[in-house]
Amino acid sequence: MLADIALGARLARRELRGGARGLRIVLLCLALGVAALAAVGTLRSATEAGLAADGARILGGDIEVEVPYRPMPAEARAWVAARGGALSEVVEMRGMAVAPGGERTLVELKAVDGAYPLYGELVLDPPDATLATRGDRHGVAVERAVAERLGVAPGTTLRIGDATFELRAVIATEPDRVASPAVLGPRAMILAEALPATGLIQPGSLVEYDYRIRVPAGESPRAFGAALQAAHGDGGWRVRYADQAAPGVNRFLDRAAAFLTLAGLSALLVGGIGVATGVRGWLDSRGRTIATLRCLGAPAGTILATYLIQVLVLAAVGIAIGLVAGFGLTWLAAQALAGTLPVPPRLGFYPAPLALAALYGLLTALAFALWPLGRAQRIPGAALFRDMVQAQPGWPSRGIIVANALAVAALVALVVGTAEQPAFAIGFCAGAAATLLLFRVGASALMWVARRLRHVRRPALRLGLANLHRPGAPTPVMLVALGIGLTTLAAVATIEGNLRRQITNELPDAAPSFFFIDIQSDQAAEFDRLARAQPGVQQVRRVPSLRAQIVAVNGVPSDQVQATEDTRWALRGDRGLTYAATPPEGARIVAGQWWPADYNGPPLVSFDARLARGWGLEVGGTLTVNVLGRDIDLRVASLRDIEYRNLSINYAMVASPGLLEAAPHTNIATIRAELPAESRVLRVLTDAFPNISGIRVRDALEAVAGLLERIGTALRATSSLTLLAGMLVLAGAVAAGQRRRVRDAVVLKTVGATRSQIRAAWLVEFGLLGLVAGLLAAAAGSAASWAVVRFVMRGEWAFLPGTLAVTVAGCVALTLALGYIGTALALRVRPAPLLRNE
Amino acid sequence: MPDTADAAPLIQAEGLVFTATAMAGPVPVLRGVDLSVGRGEAVGIVGPSGSGKTSLLMLLAGLERPSAGRLRVAGQDLGAMDEDGLARFRRDQVGIVFQAFHLIPTMTALENVAVPLEFAGRRDAFDRAAEALREVGLGHRLDHYPGQMSGGEQQRTALARAVVAEPRLLLADEPTGNLDRGTGTAVMDLLFGLRQRLGTTLLLITHDPLLAERCERQVRIEDGRIVSDAPSLRMAAE
Repeated sequence: MLADIALGARLARRELRGGARGLRIVLLCLALGVAALAAVGTLRSATEAGLAADGARILGGDIEVEVPYRPMPAEARAWVAARGGALSEVVEMRGMAVAPGGERTLVELKAVDGAYPLYGELVLDPPDATLATRGDRHGVAVERAVAERLGVAPGTTLRIGDATFELRAVIATEPDRVASPAVLGPRAMILAEALPATGLIQPGSLVEYDYRIRVPAGESPRAFGAALQAAHGDGGWRVRYADQAAPGVNRFLDRAAAFLTLAGLSALLVGGIGVATGVRGWLDSRGRTIATLRCLGAPAGTILATYLIQVLVLAAVGIAIGLVAGFGLTWLAAQALAGTLPVPPRLGFYPAPLALAALYGLLTALAFALWPLGRAQRIPGAALFRDMVQAQPGWPSRGIIVANALAVAALVALVVGTAEQPAFAIGFCAGAAATLLLFRVGASALMWVARRLRHVRRPALRLGLANLHRPGAPTPVMLVALGIGLTTLAAVATIEGNLRRQITNELPDAAPSFFFIDIQSDQAAEFDRLARAQPGVQQVRRVPSLRAQIVAVNGVPSDQVQATEDTRWALRGDRGLTYAATPPEGARIVAGQWWPADYNGPPLVSFDARLARGWGLEVGGTLTVNVLGRDIDLRVASLRDIEYRNLSINYAMVASPGLLEAAPHTNIATIRAELPAESRVLRVLTDAFPNISGIRVRDALEAVAGLLERIGTALRATSSLTLLAGMLVLAGAVAAGQRRRVRDAVVLKTVGATRSQIRAAWLVEFGLLGLVAGLLAAAAGSAASWAVVRFVMRGEWAFLPGTLAVTVAGCVALTLALGYIGTALALRVRPAPLLRNE
Repeated sequence: MPDTADAAPLIQAEGLVFTATAMAGPVPVLRGVDLSVGRGEAVGIVGPSGSGKTSLLMLLAGLERPSAGRLRVAGQDLGAMDEDGLARFRRDQVGIVFQAFHLIPTMTALENVAVPLEFAGRRDAFDRAAEALREVGLGHRLDHYPGQMSGGEQQRTALARAVVAEPRLLLADEPTGNLDRGTGTAVMDLLFGLRQRLGTTLLLITHDPLLAERCERQVRIEDGRIVSDAPSLRMAAE
């Protein structure tokens, strides 16, 4: 064994001296796949590093205490100060910013105190601007988007709520802002002292009080936070530390990285096919050498060692190129995704993702190269005396089969073991295997049909068909390589199309034009009247609105509830809560019964049936919610199937009236208006009620669509690598057959074929190949997208014929273009030199 | 342009010059060849390697273009035709047999033979191809690929392909060069038999004096020029 390896290494070195032309495709395919994986991994590590390093900056302090709807008690603040902690108060809410000309936009208003920011730096443009009150004018700084939308510049005035502000600056850097999509509105920042003048803080308004604390040096933030909560906290407080700065961002990163990794693995899978075909073609060209070595007494083990070492050397070079390219791609991606990534990535050298990408590359090389190597090992010396020396058809030795199986198993284990969602990764591996099989079977079927049609009369058609089914035709490898690349692209395009459709195109006719929030109870009647009086308003619906945190389910604290993965989110943070005497319009009660209209007993709740299933909650069970610091037990009276997608007001929790009526609360309203009337309705209502904020549904959906577009671009870019790998393999197969193509062209011309006849034959060959690959890819891509949309995203899947038609047409065009290039090159060759006797 | 005067020679070459372009510069191959071959004649072209025999055959088949001089074959001026015109000319008028057979490896024997007829749009291409293969003794090999046949069988397939369209001119370049003597003789018997039956004009390039003797006339080329052009000894004796 060792002797085989030593001798093999010497022989390999001698062969490699002559270059490795035939293995270039192997090198490129591996480099491409490894580059994709290395880039995704490095970008993720860099973003996580950015998050970790800047946790305190992003959180705004070592500790953040979120107190819903009311300020932290003065004793608690005094406690912090007495313990040497620095405290900064930040109040966040929604408001309407109105320009002097009447243009208006929803803003996320942030009122900060003098201590802000405890970490990092707020950068304004111009840099010397201040938000301090000058004379009777408060100062405001806004995100550039606000200034652009309203067409204002520093120096002009802006009305927010009841107060008039002077726009002092544009916010260049907000240190504690995790770049999140501005779905509800871009940022406007004022000083806390100006807040009362806005009149936006009313009982029950959607206000968030955040208290950031910098603990004294040397003290543990966790101990400090725990002591504060024990001394002054209540059930409604939410305390976070710097390492938990952005849990949502981490989840987003995990999900995005998982998808991108799988797209990278698809590229590597196609690269693997390139490895297999490249190694096979290269070994075919080495057949005579192998037979000669066998004649000279080389055992099979030495042959295997000789060629395996060469493949591994080339694979190592390919992997190294891939790692370097992937590292470079990270920089490019960071530039391209600036603004989409939640924090600026800390670009640097992260060995773990690079090592993982290299391991993927190595296992792929082994998984795909061992089989052809094992067959070449069986070339007998006697083959030298035959015309054609090629790897024997049939199976390699048992040892090679076992080694190959182990390499595949290790690859699958690595994919599943490193995945955030192992079940999804297993699905991916099964899907990849099924797709490989589909295209292999598809290739056999295409060849079978082509063989059956061999007697068609049109010579160009028959020639094209013959090229598809002749012995040694590269139909399977071309179809599989092209097909997997296209399947990935079709799947991504269909998933994206489905998401986009759900968000934008599928806006139901009954969808409202606006949501209005923070309507005070004493404003409700006037709001309804004024809204209904506006021309073009078709519907006004309003319900009371409270915020509640679910603290226990059936007496089990919410952080200990055994919830399914897709319902766990609802146990965190605040949920909307309303009350009603009668069921909401169109409610589908699936269990229990609605309370009588005049019910006046202990509080009951009608709950979301899907969440209830996920939490094991049934009719008769108890939900404990914290409303404004007070725990309330709600008995589940009924469960409803809620269709959130129609965008009407839907609350997971609808309580019986009574107890909650007395709690301070606001109202939320939806208004459906004709499109031309929308702007006027918004203006009239927010002028009449400056504390009320109006959210235009269309704007919010466009913002989500914009975010989706950027994520989609990243995903498409990564999947394009798969297609690129597929094209490489396809181009490799075309190039490998080019000698034969040139020879055929010469002989055909000699026996009287015109160039157009030859061209037509090859267009038939490539056109059919492209068409079948495109159709199969459309089917496989649809199936994959269905599985992802249905089971991973839990959305409704729709067949998108337009997207798939583009895929099929693109595929046919691509293969025809490749075929045309090959044909054009072959037709340019002069026949005479090839026909002369050698 | 159809050949109107049956009495006119099938091949008329005047002052034919062919200069090949090599890396080191232009290489004169044919330096002014005048040749006239009548209909139904069998001409053996002999001469040492590199004398220009194969280049002459390439020019006659329209696979190379003369650098100077005039060339008419079957009444058509080859110098005035474009690439596709030359392909059609070969399809309709010329059959070629090569030393290296030059069959298309991805087509069966039947398909290889049928292909010129198919390009000509003949509906009976396969029937005629099968007949031609039977005529060369390969009726049992119709569906075999070239790689599955012996050298002699491949050359007989190439012969069937060359004559299947009943061309006026049959060009053969060392057709037995890759075959053993016995097989070569059998193939040549077939070739001459077919030529006889079809009345085809034959130009046969060979190193084999015995083979050249089977032609009525022998043209000897040396250094790009015809140095002798005479009836073969056998003919002279007859």
